[in-house]
Amino acid sequence: MKKFGLYFLTFVMIASIAITCFACSSKEETSTGGNVLPKETRIRLATTTSLYDTGLWSLLEPLYEEEYGVELDILYAGSGVAFEYGRNCDIDVLTIHSKADELQFIADGYGMERIPFAYNHFVIVGPADDPAGIAGMSPEEAFATLAEQQDSKFISRYDKSGTHTKEKAIWAAAGYNYSDIESSGDWYVKAVQGMAPTLLMADEVGGYTLSDIGTFLANQGDLVSLVDSGSIMLNVYSVIAINSSKCTSMSSASVAGANDMVEFLTSDEVQELIDNYGAEQYGQSLFTACYGNEPTE
Amino acid sequence: MDDLWGAFVQAIHLIVSRDPDVMDIAWRSLWIAAASTAICVVVCLPLGSLIHFNRFRGKHLLLSLLQTLFSMPTVVVGLFVYIMVSHSGPLGMLNLVFTPTAMVIGQTILIIPMMLGLVISAFSGVDKAVMETATSLGANRLQAYTVNIKEAKFPMMTAVAMGFGRAISEVGASMIIGGNIVGYTMTLTTGINRYIQMGDLEQAFALGVILMFMALLINIAIYLLQKRRQYVWFPS
Amino acid sequence: MVPVIEAKKLSHAYDKRNILKEVSLSLDRGDALALIGPNGSGKTTLLRLLDLLERPYSGRIYFNGDDVTRSGRRRLHARRRMALVHQKPIVFNMNVFNNVACGLKFRHVDRKIVHRKVERILELVDMSDYRNRDARMLSGGEMQRVAIARALVTRPEVLFLDEPTANLDPASVSKVEDILARIISRGKTAVLMTTHDMAQGQRVARKIGVLINGEILQIGSPGDIFFAPVSKRVAEFVGVENILPGTIVSKENDLAIVNINGVEVQVITDLAQSENVHVMIRPEDITFARTRDASSARNVFQGVINRIIPLGPLTRIEVDCGISLLGVVTTRSASEMELKTGSNLYASFKATAIHVIKRG
Repeated sequence: MKKFGLYFLTFVMIASIAITCFACSSKEETSTGGNVLPKETRIRLATTTSLYDTGLWSLLEPLYEEEYGVELDILYAGSGVAFEYGRNCDIDVLTIHSKADELQFIADGYGMERIPFAYNHFVIVGPADDPAGIAGMSPEEAFATLAEQQDSKFISRYDKSGTHTKEKAIWAAAGYNYSDIESSGDWYVKAVQGMAPTLLMADEVGGYTLSDIGTFLANQGDLVSLVDSGSIMLNVYSVIAINSSKCTSMSSASVAGANDMVEFLTSDEVQELIDNYGAEQYGQSLFTACYGNEPTE
Repeated sequence: MDDLWGAFVQAIHLIVSRDPDVMDIAWRSLWIAAASTAICVVVCLPLGSLIHFNRFRGKHLLLSLLQTLFSMPTVVVGLFVYIMVSHSGPLGMLNLVFTPTAMVIGQTILIIPMMLGLVISAFSGVDKAVMETATSLGANRLQAYTVNIKEAKFPMMTAVAMGFGRAISEVGASMIIGGNIVGYTMTLTTGINRYIQMGDLEQAFALGVILMFMALLINIAIYLLQKRRQYVWFPS
Repeated sequence: MVPVIEAKKLSHAYDKRNILKEVSLSLDRGDALALIGPNGSGKTTLLRLLDLLERPYSGRIYFNGDDVTRSGRRRLHARRRMALVHQKPIVFNMNVFNNVACGLKFRHVDRKIVHRKVERILELVDMSDYRNRDARMLSGGEMQRVAIARALVTRPEVLFLDEPTANLDPASVSKVEDILARIISRGKTAVLMTTHDMAQGQRVARKIGVLINGEILQIGSPGDIFFAPVSKRVAEFVGVENILPGTIVSKENDLAIVNINGVEVQVITDLAQSENVHVMIRPEDITFARTRDASSARNVFQGVINRIIPLGPLTRIEVDCGISLLGVVTTRSASEMELKTGSNLYASFKATAIHVIKRG
């Protein structure tokens, strides 16, 4: 029994390892033309959902891949998860919109530097008839009104995304303790969803929510933008290459790819593309390119 | 409602017109689940034979353990494998995180307990005398195990079908391990997840229809195999 | 000549129950031994140990002189030269031809040779026309013939059969017994068969062994077993219904007188005077009459009928002559003699029909 068992287990282990190794180094089909590429030239980027939901990455991905001759793997993640991936050294570069967290990330040594490349604004959206009457208010006032009345529902992303972080910042600016808000009742709905489903939810229940302008325009439904000014609503997107000194598992190709991404996003051609993105379809472009200058207002 | 129906119609159109993105996702789901199932079969048939046909201390404990692992939550497996293959984890140097290969590993781990349990239970349905008869006819271990496997052909095939079914319909492990990268690690299940998140109902429906269709085929296969199990042992 | 299979003091236990107690036996090439015994006596266990399917708790097994008790490799090789047919007909989920070919396929025999051998054996068991049939669809008797063919095709040196006809209908039973007779008459294979049917043992085999409670109590020709059982237990099992305890009170040459409860019975024996003995008389050897015959039997006793049990064409009679005797007559005779409970009856039996063994 012992002898036979050993033979078999050995055979099985060898077979499994062989299959795994074969699969590891084998060619993989991709939807981008079925290119046959060895594994190392895959660059991993984690992006905040709003850059993806607006369709911006669908535009930029093939351009990047063609220009640098690599496969770009895009991980769709809320900012919170993106930072986690970064800390695990499982990605090469990030595009997110959560300044405070970004600075912390870099301070912890995981990111090289933070390079803003685009911005837009957040907006508070709601039903066309605006039952809470917040249209035209400042963001802080609008939030305060909703918290006082508690008649209309507010849908929160509640998922540690950049949008959620911004929402919490507005609550703080309006003088509220966030832990009070999140436990204050049924009017405050915790969606724990991406931006598009959150907007859908707000649309269905006739509630309000905070959204970046880009995703909102792409998923408007019957909602209208009610509050769109206020410096707190500034939404800056940055690209951060992962620091290979901290993440020593990064291959040279990955480091190059990350730097290429930074170069790509800040290149004149791409900046122009970003700047004009959505203009035709939505009547206004969804992003404004930074052209090297981080906006403060 | 109007919107949903329209989306559904669009979805059918995507399928029928063999939209390349949809086909890519469907094919990936299929081959990842197939690879996992195949590895499982290679592991579970010999391992199941060894466990079932030999007495050893702790056998009961092992069988109970397998039973409890049957319905392991997929996210638990996903998390476990992710922690292992992440670059910050012990197997990081293999560069497997966010790859289809790692997804195969994850699904394999997920379905091994189930398939092993079903293989062993298939053997239980074979008369003990079959093993003895084979042995007394001069079969060595391997030959005797093969005879038993052939005797339990239909329950074995059911086990394979069920394993495949679980693999192709799981989302937790694939999501966490694969990262749901479009064109690389997105499967039917994770894809539905993404498209709902993005509000792309037609795509979500298209994937959903294909997935349900596959599930239906698998269930029909299992049903037919179960029916063939009934045979008459003792006439007169 | 070295016996083809030999067991020395085999003991075995399951769950702390002793199944076999120091069993020894041996078979030469061409021997045919039937082991008879009640259910639970260890017949199946003994066969499984001899066919090397399990290792015995203690004792040794020799195959053609080689000790095959322990070594796995030796056991596999020896096992391949023996075969076992189970009580329950077992066939694999394939057609008859493939079933029979199994053993040869395990030995990696060339396909053409397999074909030839299988065809030949199918003829022996009268199953040639069934070669392509799904073995699962056969009747019990047909399945068992397939099992026998499958066992034989590999030319085993020993063929074990565990109650091969126990689950079959009478027509199939005689077919199988015919096949076994053919095999035995060829003289090439040693055959060891277990059965709980004594008559079958007598029909099929040349030697009979009695296995009761894990011990072999006697091995001998059918005549020895039935008419000269060596112990009370064997006698009881083989249907000697009159087993009477007594003491030899006088002895003259072979002739002795045994005192049983005050009744004196004349017997032929070479045991000595004063020995405590069991006197055994088969029911068939007792003759009944309503009058004291001038019969040649030395033993004639008068008694009273205690019980009459009709059993179809035969009737059993229990008579109390100071000793309790069980005899059997034809039902016709019983009615001609007008036998009734309580009637007087004379029972007589020859001294030569009595078997005497030591008691205690």
